[in-house]
Amino acid sequence: MFDPLFSWLESSSWSAWIVGSPSLFAFPGILAAHTIGLGLLVGLSAAFDLRLLGVAPGIPPRAFARFLPVMWFGLWLNVVTGLALLLAYPTKALTNPVFYLKLSLIAGGLLILRATLRRVRESLAISGTTKLLAAVSLIVWAAAIASGRLLAYTCTRLTVDFPCE
Amino acid sequence: MIAFQVQLEAWLRSFTSVADFMQLRWSWPAAESAHFIGLTLLFGSIAAWDLRLVGAVKQVPISAFHKLVPFAVLGFAINVTSGLTFLMTSPEQYVYNPAFHLKVLCLLLAGLNVMVFYLTSFRRIAQSGAGQQPPLLGRLSGAVSLALWITVIICGRMITFYRPANNCRAADVVSFLADCVVR
Repeated sequence: MFDPLFSWLESSSWSAWIVGSPSLFAFPGILAAHTIGLGLLVGLSAAFDLRLLGVAPGIPPRAFARFLPVMWFGLWLNVVTGLALLLAYPTKALTNPVFYLKLSLIAGGLLILRATLRRVRESLAISGTTKLLAAVSLIVWAAAIASGRLLAYTCTRLTVDFPCE
Repeated sequence: MIAFQVQLEAWLRSFTSVADFMQLRWSWPAAESAHFIGLTLLFGSIAAWDLRLVGAVKQVPISAFHKLVPFAVLGFAINVTSGLTFLMTSPEQYVYNPAFHLKVLCLLLAGLNVMVFYLTSFRRIAQSGAGQQPPLLGRLSGAVSLALWITVIICGRMITFYRPANNCRAADVVSFLADCVVR
């Protein structure tokens, strides 16, 4: 149904550059930047979750708010690079249910992060609910990462005209 | 150099049971997922620690952040294990791959950086309290570590793009890039 849209995106010069350019700053560079953004956002979020679960008790949980600018940088880096990767292979991502699972898991991870940050701002004590949220956050992020990896193995159509594999 | 690489490839290939397991439908994707989860655990814990060393969150004593380091070690262990399964399954994709060579070099440098840090500034830094800036050597170590781990991630991502063509062997990196790389 969306084939005309995919076909239009895939024939755009931006998409063609990302996919076809031999430059390391095209597809390989965007992919590398996407992984660094992942490391910054999810890595620091996971460190915060571990702290909430009792690791490194000497760090006040509120101190993690200081890392927020770094996490925001990671998030926006991945929004931009993610859109570029989507533009490169729109059919591959948008016809794969796992892609929507990945986006939902990321949204879930971000919402939990917002909730846990608010909870540590409002109270010094770490409640049982906060700990539960931290544990769920670790699982949700791990699932988001795994679903992102699996995109390469679960796609059925690479482009409008070519199947995967 | 090439003789060593051929020997290394043959040795990695000798772990046939690992390779057999990795040929199963979902083994390789699962190992890749584990590799990326390990990356996140390693990089996140190290980044928090390095950022504190460089001078962020000064109000918290450095020793408090040091408690995150075991999780970096856990992430590293996950990645050495999953990484070895890739090497034992398709050694030719890594042993002759310049992106992989650079990745291993940066890993060794990161290890060296950790060693120098623990041998020189760690004891003094561990005793420093809240609000204290680490000495220059400590700050430098944090910055070097961040830069090296980012390079490790970039090189890891580049491995796919520098895979040698089937049975292509080259004596040096320049002829490798000219003759062997499929992109």
